[in-house]
Amino acid sequence: MKKVNHMIEVSHISKDFVAPKKYPGLRGAVKGLFSAEKVIKTAVDDISFSIDTGEIVGYIGSNGAGKSTTIKMMTGILVPTKGTCTVAGINPSRSRKENAQNIGVVFGQRTQLWWDLPLSESFTILKEIYNVSDTAYAEQMEFLNRVLALQDFFDRPVRTLSLGQRMRADLGAALLHNPKVLYLDEPTIGLDLVVKDNIRKAIKEINEKYQTTVILTTHDIGDIEELCSRIMIIDEGRKIYDGSLCELKDTYGTKRKVSMEVKQPEKIKGLCLHELLGVQEAECSMALNLENSTLSVTFDKHKLQVPQLLSAVMAVAEVKDIQIQETELAEIVKEIYNHGVGGAA
Amino acid sequence: MRKGLRIYLPFAANELKRQLAYKGAFYLFILVHLFGSFISYYLWIAIYGSSEKEVIGGLTQSEMVVYVFMVYVTASIVTASISTIVSDDVVKGTVAMNLIKPIDYRLSLIAMASGNMVYRFLVPSVLIWIGLEIYKIKVLGLAPVSIAGIFLYLVSCVMSFLIYVLFDFCFGMLAFFTTYIFGMRMAKEALLGFLTGQLIPISFFPAAMQRVFDFLPFSSIVYTPVMIYLGKYTGETLVFMMLRQAAWVVFLYVAGSLIWRQVTKRLVVLGG
Amino acid sequence: MNTVKRYLRLYRVLVAQFLKTIMQSRVDFLIGLLGFFFTQVMGIAFLYLVFQQIPDLQGWTLDQLIFIYGFAQIPRGIDHLFTDNIWLVAYRLVINGDFDRYMLRPMNIFFQVIAEKLQPDALGELLIGTILVVRSLTKGIVIVDGLHVALFFVSIFAGALIYTSIKLFFASLAFWLKVSGPFLQIAYDMANFAKYPTEIYSKGVRFLITWVIPFAFVAYLPASFFMKADTSAGVVVIECGIAFVFWWIAYALFHRGTQVYESAGN
Repeated sequence: MKKVNHMIEVSHISKDFVAPKKYPGLRGAVKGLFSAEKVIKTAVDDISFSIDTGEIVGYIGSNGAGKSTTIKMMTGILVPTKGTCTVAGINPSRSRKENAQNIGVVFGQRTQLWWDLPLSESFTILKEIYNVSDTAYAEQMEFLNRVLALQDFFDRPVRTLSLGQRMRADLGAALLHNPKVLYLDEPTIGLDLVVKDNIRKAIKEINEKYQTTVILTTHDIGDIEELCSRIMIIDEGRKIYDGSLCELKDTYGTKRKVSMEVKQPEKIKGLCLHELLGVQEAECSMALNLENSTLSVTFDKHKLQVPQLLSAVMAVAEVKDIQIQETELAEIVKEIYNHGVGGAA
Repeated sequence: MRKGLRIYLPFAANELKRQLAYKGAFYLFILVHLFGSFISYYLWIAIYGSSEKEVIGGLTQSEMVVYVFMVYVTASIVTASISTIVSDDVVKGTVAMNLIKPIDYRLSLIAMASGNMVYRFLVPSVLIWIGLEIYKIKVLGLAPVSIAGIFLYLVSCVMSFLIYVLFDFCFGMLAFFTTYIFGMRMAKEALLGFLTGQLIPISFFPAAMQRVFDFLPFSSIVYTPVMIYLGKYTGETLVFMMLRQAAWVVFLYVAGSLIWRQVTKRLVVLGG
Repeated sequence: MNTVKRYLRLYRVLVAQFLKTIMQSRVDFLIGLLGFFFTQVMGIAFLYLVFQQIPDLQGWTLDQLIFIYGFAQIPRGIDHLFTDNIWLVAYRLVINGDFDRYMLRPMNIFFQVIAEKLQPDALGELLIGTILVVRSLTKGIVIVDGLHVALFFVSIFAGALIYTSIKLFFASLAFWLKVSGPFLQIAYDMANFAKYPTEIYSKGVRFLITWVIPFAFVAYLPASFFMKADTSAGVVVIECGIAFVFWWIAYALFHRGTQVYESAGN
């Protein structure tokens, strides 16, 4: 039996936050002064997973679900209340500095660079901090310039950069020392499509070239589709899904949507499609838009085939055009956020 | 107008709530804040002890003790600083946001300062004041302050508060003309501590300087209310002093409005 | 040794960057300096005005008190120059989650905090302190011999370390209290009053300023050693002892704080 050493191993990790109990209103504020009651919030509840070198993993969940908290434990910012975490063989909260040498972090909403200084100076300082040799630095800068085009604004103070430029700068800074693991927290937030695309391409290239393990926290479905082979979904502190993107779509993306442009939409009006086809209403729902003559039917693909549907509709009216859509990942994720893993099926 | 003023209540309430929220700070604040005044107290006892005169600067040792603590009580009520908020707003560029809202920026600041003032009055000024009064009567053997005296003192304090806040507003707007007022604020605070009578009664200054101070609003901020409390101002002097305070309130209000108008004309927003 | 060299190199780099930023706005720098200078002058003015009314303060002359005042400024200025960023820990860094940045880098966190900022205002304190000490030399009230001069330098650096330790201690409370600025401010302000002979205070207060928040050992006690021939050099030795103990306590608290650190929300 081969013993596998994963790049990241998280084992039964939990994080509790203890806060003094707060009461509402002005009177409550005074009451709060004299009470010693505490409120315990469990942000992360018994999560375990392993990640191998070179994987790009999406770590998603609604706000407050515990994503950032998990990442902060893995990067050494927070100490877990329970459980252990090992990154490249190092315990991040116990050996913070050693772990820091192995990781690169990009927070979408906050920069790690020096605000008033030119970008070049930030990089000089980081080179010293991470002990990057001159040759490694030159090599890495060449690569980063190619992939992120940093030379366009390398001499400008960070505070003068646009959001897109700053994100590229932060990404470059995080990679300067060629870390084993890259944590990206909302890296494309607020960016326009072109820049988003460039950042995603850059991340892919870096992962391919250096086998950098990437953990990506994001709300952007595009990020996930483009980058992640594996997704973990976290909800209320617990991991509710861990598997590949394809599996997710297959298992939970059971709905299919067909949009048809019909010639005489009034003929469709009285149609009760699900009765005709012998399925439940929930498994086949229709929406008729008289203005642009479109009939949209959303149905469970396990219960109904497209040809069946088509013949049923064409028996009543002429179909001019047709479009078939798989369930969008966004829909799946939304369902899971709202109803948990069971409800999306 | 009255209905309009009610819009500003949330500012005051919020500030009060914010202060109360920092529970740990609240408890320790009461205790430790007194240290400053006690040390001043010891210093003055030593000073009087080293002097042959019983009255220095117009005050006996007992009166000086009262002075020291009343300065604390008064200063804590009166000096709610808003210039930091103003200059912060300038630097961060949020001052533009404040102009968009349909409220008077200055009034909202004053309301906020009022909330701050109520907090500072409750914590711990009222208690210290009461404690001081008891100490004054029982230990120092001085006469208790009359109801009229309390009333006059409080009225004077309110005016002092307005003088300070209005002055601070003008000062805060300096941030529009220089990008870095931190150093100036330090100079201001040092100067004010001195010129308002907090460090040393104005009567200690050479006569010539006192004449100059008469034309500045600072002595009206702390020295005047405390002197009123000590009963050092009576009859004509009392009336004159309080009128002078009122005059400064008006003057600073107008000055503030003028500067504000200038400022909104040439709004240079940094950052943002 | 490698790590020490590395940190020194880093400090130099960070400081050079900081100075560059400052030099960009020279006017601001000068105004800041002036402001601080002003603050110090007020303290002297107070002494001067008081001494218009009394011949001496419990045996101490004006010149002697001015020496104590000036002597007190130097360690304060040294600490202020290098570790001013500690204030930010007390007021903001913990709450804003800005601390995350420091924790993610493979460098000592305390070092990162203080390397981020050099405070030029401190030059005002150092300047005033030096001027007043020199003045006291010319007035002949200070003993000048090998031992005293050597111990003078020892004392000011030990004193600076005491300042830093006290600041760090109270700032670190922010890890638990979220904001510890007010406490730090009050503790720091107590230094102002330890500029006077501690005999004027009651026993309790004297104990507080001497052994609990030991600013007396930074200013008054060593200063009286430098002025009076019959006092023992042990004062400076104790000062060093206190400096090390307090530093150890403060740093331990800070370190514990980084482990308890909860970061900010999303």
